[in-house]
Amino acid sequence: MTESGIVFNIQRFSVHDGPGIRTTVFLKGCTLHCFWCHNPEGIRPKPEIQFYPDRCIGCGACLEACEHGAQILNDDGVHIYVRENCVMCGKCVDNCFSGALELTGTKVTVDEVMAEVLADHAFYANSGGGVTLSGGEPLLQADFSRAILQRSKEEGLHTAIETCGNYTWSHLESVLPWVDLVMMDLKHMDPDVHREVTGTSNERILKIAEGLMYTSKPVLFRTPVVPTVNDTPEAIGEIAAFVRRLSDLRIATNAETGGDAPLPVLGLLRFHRMAADKYRSLDLVYKARDLEVPSLAYMDELRDVARSYGIEVEH
Amino acid sequence: MATRIESETLTYEQRLVSLRETKIKSNLEKQALTGCLNSDDLAFILPPEDRREIVHAISGSGVPITDVIMSGIDIKSNHPNGGFYGPKACGENYASLLKGHPTYIDPMSSLAGAYMTNFGSFRKGGWKPELDFSHLRADQELYQLLSGIGAPQHFCQDLSLGLELGWGKILEKIRHYRTVNTSQDAQDFYDGLEAIVLGMQDWISRNAQLAREMAETEPRPQFKLNLLEMAEINERLVTAPPRTFREACQWIVWYQMAARMYNGSGSLGKLDLILQPFYERDKAAGILTDEEATFHIACLLLRDTAYIQVGGPDGDIKDVTSPVSFLTLEAVHLLRIPCNVAVAVGKDTDPALLRRGVEIIFEDRKSAPKFISMDNLARGFVRNGYPMELATQRAYAGCHWCALPGREYTLNDCVKINFGAVFQVAFEDLFADSGDEPSVDRLWELTTYHLERAVDAIAKGLDFQVAHMHEVFPELMLDLLCHGPIERGVDASHGGVEFMNLCVDGSALATVADSFAALEQRVEQEKRLTWAELKDAIDTDWAGTEGERVRLMMKSIPRYGSGGSLGDAWAQKVEDVFTELVKAKPTPEGHNMIPGLFSWASTISLGKDLRATPNGRHAGDPISHGASPDPGFRKDGAPSAMAVAVASVNPGWGNSAPMQIDLDPGLASDADGVENVMNLITAHFDLGGTLINMNILDKEQILAAHKDPSLYPDLIVRVTGFSAYFNRLSPEFRQLVVDRIIAEA
Repeated sequence: MTESGIVFNIQRFSVHDGPGIRTTVFLKGCTLHCFWCHNPEGIRPKPEIQFYPDRCIGCGACLEACEHGAQILNDDGVHIYVRENCVMCGKCVDNCFSGALELTGTKVTVDEVMAEVLADHAFYANSGGGVTLSGGEPLLQADFSRAILQRSKEEGLHTAIETCGNYTWSHLESVLPWVDLVMMDLKHMDPDVHREVTGTSNERILKIAEGLMYTSKPVLFRTPVVPTVNDTPEAIGEIAAFVRRLSDLRIATNAETGGDAPLPVLGLLRFHRMAADKYRSLDLVYKARDLEVPSLAYMDELRDVARSYGIEVEH
Repeated sequence: MATRIESETLTYEQRLVSLRETKIKSNLEKQALTGCLNSDDLAFILPPEDRREIVHAISGSGVPITDVIMSGIDIKSNHPNGGFYGPKACGENYASLLKGHPTYIDPMSSLAGAYMTNFGSFRKGGWKPELDFSHLRADQELYQLLSGIGAPQHFCQDLSLGLELGWGKILEKIRHYRTVNTSQDAQDFYDGLEAIVLGMQDWISRNAQLAREMAETEPRPQFKLNLLEMAEINERLVTAPPRTFREACQWIVWYQMAARMYNGSGSLGKLDLILQPFYERDKAAGILTDEEATFHIACLLLRDTAYIQVGGPDGDIKDVTSPVSFLTLEAVHLLRIPCNVAVAVGKDTDPALLRRGVEIIFEDRKSAPKFISMDNLARGFVRNGYPMELATQRAYAGCHWCALPGREYTLNDCVKINFGAVFQVAFEDLFADSGDEPSVDRLWELTTYHLERAVDAIAKGLDFQVAHMHEVFPELMLDLLCHGPIERGVDASHGGVEFMNLCVDGSALATVADSFAALEQRVEQEKRLTWAELKDAIDTDWAGTEGERVRLMMKSIPRYGSGGSLGDAWAQKVEDVFTELVKAKPTPEGHNMIPGLFSWASTISLGKDLRATPNGRHAGDPISHGASPDPGFRKDGAPSAMAVAVASVNPGWGNSAPMQIDLDPGLASDADGVENVMNLITAHFDLGGTLINMNILDKEQILAAHKDPSLYPDLIVRVTGFSAYFNRLSPEFRQLVVDRIIAEA
């Protein structure tokens, strides 16, 4: 069992990542590369340095610490971070206190994660909350994820994962016994469009989605509504139709097994543009920077479209 | 014709809209005249233009203010310094103010009257010079203590006493007991009290007369009737106790305005419990609807932003929640002005009250209500040696405090030990110690030594206050509705009431805890800088780029509030030793002291004379707020992390260490959100928390209002224990709120 993993954030009092008051653990690394991703620091699996020049006070400590020419002053005396020279030794970050250089992604043990998670124990029970693993893609670190989920269940916590579903069933199966809620993204039904906007086809994802219907786990499918990608009644309608088929599948499974597993629910999430600073800090291009944020009214219209397929749609 | 009359009839809600508009207009006038006000939104209105005089004075809460007093009041000095001292002079001068106080009636309201000034601003000369406490000053100054000497009110009267007796019987009571207690001191005391009651009767009766006069010329039938009712009610209340719910509200308004005007007292306590008998009687008689009752409560709240508790235990009653508790919340909801109503939360308290409170604070975004754990406070109070039945009778009645109505002198919120100043003295000693190398252990030793001296100095100051405050500015208004002062002929501050539990608050907890943590981590563990380098950076207030680098180094440690950090451990340690010292012994005269953590508006002033501190704070910047972690204590600013932290540092002896929390409006945008906030509140109390001051603030709106406050005349924030109109706060107080919001958003 892997007792440590790479985590880029642990957010306490998280109220939008599953029921109740939760602690969300963000695991680093993802197999998709959605161009609108609002956690770009979660995409690459290894730790990275984020550079925020606005916060630099010009003390020069990082220049002294760096032996590889990654922290330099340009001809105008302005501090530049040369990512390609960086060997990720972390010495610059260790000497930067202004927050201009930050390490995103640190190796932490399951015990360390659990200590942080259990700090909010008092808030979970009454609220029906607990722990959510998110990312990135938590199942890229499946052993680590399983260890956290297992420990959380032993502590009596509600557990949830936020996953992209882009893996084989055995990956998911290895954690599923310790998961109370699966939140899974459905970005587009067309495999080509999916590949174009995320870098990967949706075939495995749809299979995972279907596979989940043969389990008894509650599933919340979530679609980030992104202009130019899926913000049309047609695109949303196709996703809703798919969820409807899955819903029927679960009804049939329930009938066969005599179970009463809840029907899948669809949530539509509004795209936002708040990740610009993070993209800049990682020297990444934020292709979604100029997209319009869908209006609240339009989001409601799309939800009505989805509901017309006879499925439950989260508000 | 009938249709026309009906169209002129305004609903209660319409009348409240009008009353609120009048209030906001009056606020703008006050601001134009007196500038900023960094304390409660006091509901007074300006006197008539030809009687206004601008003065610089000290408020009832000890804050310097620019104030408006009235000309034409016959104030008599009894001292060469031009001031007046003692019960007789204070009472008689206050009676002059009441007798010369202009009348005021807004026909939109169901209750007559408004107050227009602060009596304290008529006082000259301050503390009575003969009562010398220069022997205490050295330590008070060394540790920058707020000693409480000269601080008025901050305990709670028993309103039910007044509602039972009325002014007539209160007068009889005074006249009776002056025949029992015949010493000259007692006679002076009764002279003062009697003068005030006569002044009250005069003020009320003149307003009754105004109501009658206004009724004669009032063309609108609805308001004509209202004015006639007001006239009748107030003619009665000159002597008789109230019979109906409306009369009770009117009686409370008169008393409350007079108490506020006398020395700033804003304690109402368990209003639902007090009004419940009147409500039940009127409902049974079919003469009161809930809508009307809500309106009367709203009219009461409009005249003073007094501190009120709804729900919770009382004596043997596990929960006093009644329809009046809910109607009080509805009144707050309809009014949408600064209100200081606290919802009691506890295992036996109706959870519907908590739910309604959370719904209202999110819907209105007016920082009301606040939430209080009477269970935890009562459990703590019991540790002082009192029975639980008594402890649960304490009522929430001020910014962060409770008191036994009419039976306890507390001096709550007036006495502060600035841990930052104590730390500063220890820090200087550390480097003056030529023999030893500085160390965190040695610094802690010195800090505890000086903290003990500071607590001793506070204790001596409290004894001095109890011995002499009555000779300076006695608590005459509160005495009228306390059990004991009239009977014994002794002011409440001097032993007139049964219990004396004196508040001693610690402040700058995070400032000092984070300073210790930063020194331990950066200097001792990591050895990133030497003590000498650190000292140099502090002495120069982090000057230069290197100074700034060191400052950020010290600031960027895991701080108090982040959870399981050195900062958290130090906060616990500081709180523990403070509590231990306060509880180690009573004052030299044997008075009980109760520790709490709260800095109130002094968060700014207590930082002014403080040099830079090792937590990365600049010289002169505010100290940390009450028991709260400093803004930016965690990247996610998690409210739950704050709730765990603040709960962990509650001293637990019956006084509070409030959690000041600012939440984003989006948090409770749906039913789950309300549920989550309820759970945040109950979990904080389950962990030992005592009081929650909550703001629901939109970051964008606050930033816009900070740029141009005049564009947001009805934006209300709970700065600390009190709530206020944002545009009336001084820029530095607004900055305090803005810094919090930026860090927490």
